[in-house]
Formats: sequence, structure tokens, C-alpha cells
Amino acid sequence: MNEKEKKTYLEQYKKDKEKGVPFYPDILFKDAVVSLLIFLVLAALAYFIGAPLEERANPSDTSYTPKPEWYFLFLFQLLKYFPGELEVVAVVVIPTLAIILLFLLPFLDRSTKRHFWNRPLISVLVIGSAAGVLFLTVQSIRETPPPAEASQGDPVAALYTENCAVCHSGTITVPEGTNLHDVIAQGTHEGMPAWSGDMTTDEIDALAGFILSPGGNALFKEYCSECHETSELVASDPIELKAALDEGDAYAPHAEVSIPEWSEEITLGERTALLNFLVAPDGQRLFATNCAQCHGRSVGFAGEENELRDLVSQGGLHLEMPPWRDTLNSDQLDALAQYVTASSDSGNTRELFEQYCASCHGKRIPTMDDYDQAREIIASGGAHETMPVWGEVLTSEQLGALVSYTMEAAEGTSLEAGQELFAQNCAVCHGDFGEGGPNPARSDDVIAPISTTEYLTTRDDHTLFQVIAQGQPNFGMSPFGSTFGGPLDDDQINTMVAYIRSWEANPPVELPPEVDSSSVSLSSGEVYAQLCAQCHGPEGLGDVGPSLRDPEFRAGNTSQDIFETISKGHEATPMIRWGDLLSQDTIQELTDFILGLEISEAGVKPEPTPGFSSFAEDVLPIFEAKCAPCHGSMGGWDSSSYDTVMTSGDNAPTIIPNDVENSILAQKITDTQTYGTMMPPGGKMTNNEIQLILDWISAGAPDN
Amino acid sequence: MITKIANWFDERVGWKAVWETIFLRKIPKVNWLYTLGSATLFTAVNQAVTGILLTIYYVPTPDHAYDSVQYITTQIPMGWLIRGLHHWGASAMVILTVLHMLRVILLGAYKYPREVTWFTGVFLLLVVVGFGFTGYLLPWDQKAYWGSSVGTRIAGSTPVVGDWILRVMRGGPDLSAITLVRFFGVHVWVLPASLILLLGIHMYLVIKIGISAVPKREEE
Ligand code: HEM
Ligand code: HEM
Repeated sequence: MNEKEKKTYLEQYKKDKEKGVPFYPDILFKDAVVSLLIFLVLAALAYFIGAPLEERANPSDTSYTPKPEWYFLFLFQLLKYFPGELEVVAVVVIPTLAIILLFLLPFLDRSTKRHFWNRPLISVLVIGSAAGVLFLTVQSIRETPPPAEASQGDPVAALYTENCAVCHSGTITVPEGTNLHDVIAQGTHEGMPAWSGDMTTDEIDALAGFILSPGGNALFKEYCSECHETSELVASDPIELKAALDEGDAYAPHAEVSIPEWSEEITLGERTALLNFLVAPDGQRLFATNCAQCHGRSVGFAGEENELRDLVSQGGLHLEMPPWRDTLNSDQLDALAQYVTASSDSGNTRELFEQYCASCHGKRIPTMDDYDQAREIIASGGAHETMPVWGEVLTSEQLGALVSYTMEAAEGTSLEAGQELFAQNCAVCHGDFGEGGPNPARSDDVIAPISTTEYLTTRDDHTLFQVIAQGQPNFGMSPFGSTFGGPLDDDQINTMVAYIRSWEANPPVELPPEVDSSSVSLSSGEVYAQLCAQCHGPEGLGDVGPSLRDPEFRAGNTSQDIFETISKGHEATPMIRWGDLLSQDTIQELTDFILGLEISEAGVKPEPTPGFSSFAEDVLPIFEAKCAPCHGSMGGWDSSSYDTVMTSGDNAPTIIPNDVENSILAQKITDTQTYGTMMPPGGKMTNNEIQLILDWISAGAPDN
Repeated sequence: MITKIANWFDERVGWKAVWETIFLRKIPKVNWLYTLGSATLFTAVNQAVTGILLTIYYVPTPDHAYDSVQYITTQIPMGWLIRGLHHWGASAMVILTVLHMLRVILLGAYKYPREVTWFTGVFLLLVVVGFGFTGYLLPWDQKAYWGSSVGTRIAGSTPVVGDWILRVMRGGPDLSAITLVRFFGVHVWVLPASLILLLGIHMYLVIKIGISAVPKREEE
């Protein structure tokens, strides 16, 4: 407003005032009327409703649902629309902005116009804001159920209001991929208690469903709660849930009750919400309830997320089933085929199923119409449709959660798990780092290293998988895949392949393939340091292998002897036939290098005199290294603990204390057995080891 | 007789001049919306009176706050009325203040020459909200405790200074006895003092400048 406008306004105002009325009594009368009315209303409220007073404040009662005074509710509600990081928008930005705008209003709107019709922008803004605040307030009142009501009708909502709403108000936005069940159970963030102490697993599941799909909870209440408790359906089999929803009263368990055709009654979106509520899209839980039956605690998967998503959603030809005709007799096969075609449930067959099939099939009995076909499939095994087509069962939220969880889980553990599997199954023959060694299955044979860059770059994962699964019967490697009668399932083999593959990036031992090409000029000292020092010590004073500087060793071996030993190796020791890997020249140089080492008494003596002192310390480690790879939990003699050593086996007992001659074990390791083959099949153990075991048996096979 | 006494006082105090400037001043013809301000003023007086009465018995400690409020409501004659008026009056005052502000905005009454009146008004709004926020904790019942607990925590989620705000409001990391005395102190001393000061300026300006006339719709 410029000076002129100000003057005009003041003059106009003066005229208005003169035409006006005196404050007393005219205006004051109006004011008094309104004030009196207000007073009457207040007094009436005080009389009829009174000022409420709830229970005394109880700081330890976290189940109370806090509510601010009603005129702050709109801010409270606003917060819900700005979750997480955005919270500052609702807490700071919007209120501060509003106050600043209010203060600046006279400067922002400086026109001479005063009537609201003439100032549409301001009027719309102000009325809009007022309506917004009103809307938020109403919304907030509608969304937060009063605590009493909540705990009556809806147990899950009550769980929420009692436990979560205190801090989280009405809704929680969960970042994708969160393991909500764990977060709730363990209370993973600051200030949040671990609820697992207060809630059952079912309750936590229900709560997770409620948080991730609040709409689903309402639907459940409306349609299902008449007959079902929430806790009975949450985290149950998604296949059944889906079937129940899709099939309406054609779904067998619903046959007796009159229920509507759900697919007509509730929309697709609603069904999704309902399923998400019952089986929360929470990766780890989904995995635990649906996949763990077959996959155990973890899966090894080295591919891309998309591949996994396809694999899971398409299901189908996924797991290999062993050919049962190798294990079961014809009658048993008949019974099983009968069982899956007609579900004829004689107790025996169920036992059979539980014994052989349930470990993969769980409680889900596969069904087939054609008896002959069923029998054929069971007998011959192979790839068959074990995995459900999850894509048709799970909602896309659930699938997403499952896939991202699996990816994460497979990433975190597979290398370690693979290493463990390798150590248990392969290291006996291939060495801890795949460096190879003498072949226990065939004398005069050396297992070449499998950890070299050369080996790994020339074989893809599929080949490695096949080698492990089917074995290399011609070279004495037995099949490891369960399909071929071995101990490992596909996931485990995959895990191991991933581990072996990891050597390519960080080779465990330097065994460059170039070593055997004489063109590479590694000095004999370097070759020694890289290859021989692993066993004979960096100084040649011995470690696993004997000292090369020992006076006795030197006296007993000529240059020719040493050359021979290096070239041919020692049978059944890690001293392999280096002649296969190194050139004659290199070996000659090595021999000279060794002979050049100063003679010294300080070395480790080879073959310390055997002496048995403890089963756990002396004998069991030999069993573990030499026998356990085959004699484990697979059946037959089990070498893993004292009890099983003494009692298990098809011809148990294998050990007769104090009686070496008649103990089957002793016969087998000394190659004096009356039937079957020598053990270990590849060749004798070292004399030391044999002696230890024999000593132990003659000492009465004590468990010490 | 009465006129005599009145004149005696007027000679010494000069109340007639005050009376004339406040009550006998002429005012443009205005509508009922213009009563919202004085209605707010009325609730402010109502709050002050009932609030002062409440402080007689109210004890601002976690041990006694709840009991004292209960005592006021059930034992003291008319205690229920006093507390009821204060309780409902608080809501009424918030509503009326906002409505009064809306009327001022929609009728352009914040414009020249009433900008300063408007500024004091915005401060008044903040003071009223402050009254509501601090008063809510005083009865020390469940809704008071948990409502204020969440309220202060929300304020405490402000970036950078949030923690400081939280500690200043609560007098420590948790809602405690200190919080209660702080809220009480603010509710019955700091805010009422601010309210009186601001209202004084607000009313002085309203009387001095005169209430705005109802604006006419201009044809464009
Ligand atoms: C405790 C709160 C308040 C009280 C007791 C109060 C009281 C009053 C009274 C009695 C008037 C005389 C005119 C009328 O009744 O409409 C008035 C005018 C005014 N008030 Fe307030 N008020 C309060 C809050 C506010 C607020 C929050 C604002 C704005 C943000 C505001 C801005 C104004 C303005 C600009 C006028 C001059 C209006 C005119 O001349 O037409 N007041 N106030
Ligand atoms: C001006 C002087 C005031 C004094 C001395 C005062 C004093 C008190 C006292 C002692 C209490 C505790 C008693 C109780 O909770 O019932 C209280 C409560 C309260 N006061 Fe004030 N007050 C004043 C003004 C206000 C104003 C202007 C407001 C409004 C905006 C207000 C809002 C409240 C509220 C909401 C409560 C809680 C009442 C309840 O829900 O029980 N007070 N006040």
C-alpha cells in the first residue's frame, strides 16, 4: 500500500466509524451473548461429561496406546504419511513453514483488497489448509481404534495396538527385504524390546502379516474369523490357503460348510492382501515354512536374482530323485505306487513313505492318477516335479521377499558351507586346497591338483557339478550326488562348486601349471619354497614330512635315490609323483638343491615311534581323515564317534577289544580280511596309523 | 449517592475517560463473526480464573498430581465444575482462537494499519497451543503420561537439535518428575505471563486503531 492508498483507507474507515455504533451497549451485548452461550456449553460439558481422568500414569505399562490431545492429532496423522527419513518433513518442515507463512502474511498479501472474494488465492489456501487439518484429524480418529475396542474384536490388531502402536503409531513402513519376523522377535533396533519372550511364533507371524498387509487383516476378520483363529492360519501352507481361496466350497475341507465362492465374493486384490496377511511376505519365514523341508537351512545358489526368481516361480523339474529300485524291493515299490495313486493308507506304507520320501516331500504326499506311471517314476527316479510352481501360489510380494532372502542367504554362507563340505568329502583325496596327491583308490596314480587356474578355467560349473555328482568311477572317485547314491544333494554340490570356483580368484596354493614346462626358469630354490616347503619346512628341517637335513637321511640316500623319490613319490603319502608335474631337469636341480642344504640334527624326526595314548586324540582323528568320508551317517559302519565305531555296521561289532586277530576292522586295514576288500580301498594307511589302531584294540579299545 | 462516589473516584482516578475510550467509542457496524475475538478473550479469562483456582490444590509431583486432581474433582465443592470448565475451556479456546484467526484472514483484517495486532495474534496462537501441550501432562494419568511422552519424542526427532529439544522439554532423557514440574512451571507462570503481555498489546491496539469495518466486495 502506498501513502495514497493508506490515506484513502483511513478516510473510508473514518466514515464507516461515524456511521457505526457505540461499543457499549451494542457490540458488548453481542459479545456478552456469545460468551454466555460458550460458558453454558462449557458448564454443560463439565456437568454431563466431566473432565475425564484415566488410570494413574504407569510408565512401565507400554501396552497403552498413546494419544495426544485432539488438536494435535492432525500432526500425529501427518507423521504417518512421512515415514522414516521423511519424518522431519512432518515434524519440522511443515509446521515451521506454516508459522513463518502466518507471520509473513501481511507482507505477502499487500493489495488493498480485503474481501475474501477479491483475494481468491489467499482464501483458497486458507480454507484448503483448514479443510486439510480437519481431514487429518478425522482420519486420525478413524484409524486408531480405541484400545478397549481393539482388544475385543480383533486379536491381531490388539497385539499391534498393545505392543507396537506406542512407538509406531498407526502404521509402519517396512523397507523391502526386511526380515520382519526377526526384527520383531529380536527387537533389532534401538529401544525396541525382543518380543519373542512375550509372543508366540504364531503371534509374531500374525503381527508381521498385519503390519505388511493391514488390509488383509480386515478381510480376515470379515470373512474368515467366524470359523478360524488367526493363529491357526498364519504361516500355514500357502498352497492350501491358495486352494481354499480359489476353489470355494470345492475345496475338500470346506465341503461341509456353506461358504461362498471366494473368487466371486472377494476381488483378486483383496485375495492378495489376505494371503499377504496370512503368510507375510517375509523372506526368511517363507523359506523356513516352505522351502526348508527340502532345502534344509540354506541353499547354495550362485546365479542371478532373475534366474532364481524364474526358478522359484516356475518350480517344476528341479530336484533329482534317486532311483529307488536300487534301494527298495519290488513289494515296497508297489506299495508306494499304490499309496500315491489311491492314497490307500495302510500303516506300513505310510511308514515307508515317511522313512524314504518324507525327507524331501515333507508331509505333502505327491499324487498321481496312473499307477504304472507312478511306479515307474519311483523306481527310476531322476528329475521329477518336486518343487511346486510357486509362481502360481505365492503373491508377487511374497515371491519377491522369498527371492531376495534366498539370494542374501546363499551369498552369506555358501563359501564357508562349501569349504566345510569340501573338507568333509573331498580333502582326503584332493588335499585341503585341492592340491591333489597320491590316489588312494589306485596305486601308482597321482591325483592332479584341481585348484590350479588351468584346471578351473577349462571346466565350467556344470562340468564340475557333473564330476562331483556322478564321480569318476574310472579313476576311483565314487559318485557324490544323491541321485547316484552319494551323500550330497544338489544344493550341497552347488555350494561346493561355488567354493571350488572361488579358488580361481584367490588360488589357495601356488601351483602354477607352468611349473612343468621347463621353459619357465624358476630357480630350484623357488620351486622348493613353493612345493616342497609345504611339507618339509621352509628350512628343510621337516614338518609334516621328514627333515631333509637329517644326518641319517643324508647318509642313507644318494643323489639318485633322492631323484627317484621325488619323481615317483611315496605311496599313500602327500609326497606325490612329482615327475608327473615337474621336468627331469627341475627335479635334478631340486635334488642338487637339497643336497646343498647343510646337514643338521635339529630336524623333525620322521615317523615318531607310534604309541597309543587316547582314543579321542590318536585314533579318532585317523578315522575322521581316512574312513569318515565314506563311513559316515550313510549307513553301515559309522566311524564318527566312539559309540558308533564300536556298535554300528552290517557285521557289527567290527571291533573286539583285546582281540586284534578277530576284529574285522583290524583285518581290513592290515589286508588280512577274510571277505570283501582292504580298507581304505586306495591303499594301506601308513604303518604308524595302522600300528596305532592295532595298539588301541589290543589295549581293550578304551574310550578315552 | 452512587453518582457522588463515582465522581469522587473520577476526580482522583479518571476512570470516566477510560470508560469512554473503551466502551463508548464508536465502531463500524460489524457482524457476529466479530464476536469471536471477545469469545476467545472470555475463554482466556475463564482459563485464568479456573486455572488459578486449580493451583490451590494441585500438586505438581508424580506422587501427588494424580491424587490431587482426583481430590479436586471428587472432594472439593464445585471442584468438578472448576476442573470441567478448565478442561473443556482449553479445547474451546483453541477452537475459538483458530476461528478468530480465520475470520481475521478472510476479512483481510491483518492489513494496514493492523499488522502489529496480527503479529501479537500469531504469538498468542503459539501461546495457546503451548498451554494445551503443557496442560495435557498435568493430571498425570495414562493419557497424560503417554501422550506427552510421544509428543516430546516427536519434537525430539528434529534433526540436529532434536536431542537438545527433548532434554530441555523433559529435563532429562526420560519423562520424569522434572518434566512434570517444568510443564507446570511453564503452564502456570511462563505462559500466563506471556499471555497477559501479548493480550495487553493486542487489546490496546484493537482499541486504539479501532475494529476493522466489514469489507465490501469490489467489482472488478
Ligand atoms: C488468545 C487469543 C486471542 C484473543 C483473546 C484475541 C482477542 C481479540 C479481540 C477481542 C479482538 C477484537 C476484534 C474481534 O473480536 O474480532 C481481536 C482482534 C484481532 N485479533 Fe485477536 N485474539 C486472539 C488471537 C489472535 C490471533 C491468533 C490472531 C491472528 C493470528 C489475532 C489477530 C487479530 C487481529 C488482526 C485483530 C484485529 C481485527 C480487526 O480489527 O478486525 N488474534 N483479537
Ligand atoms: C492462565 C492461567 C492458567 C493456570 C493457572 C492454569 C492451571 C492449570 C492447572 C493447575 C491444571 C491442572 C489441573 C487439571 O489437570 O485438571 C491445568 C490443567 C490444564 N490446563 Fe491450565 N491453566 C491456565 C491456563 C490455561 C489455558 C489458557 C489453557 C488452554 C489453552 C489451559 C489448558 C489446560 C489443560 C488442557 C489442562 C489439562 C486439564 C485436564 O485435561 O484435566 N490452561 N491448568
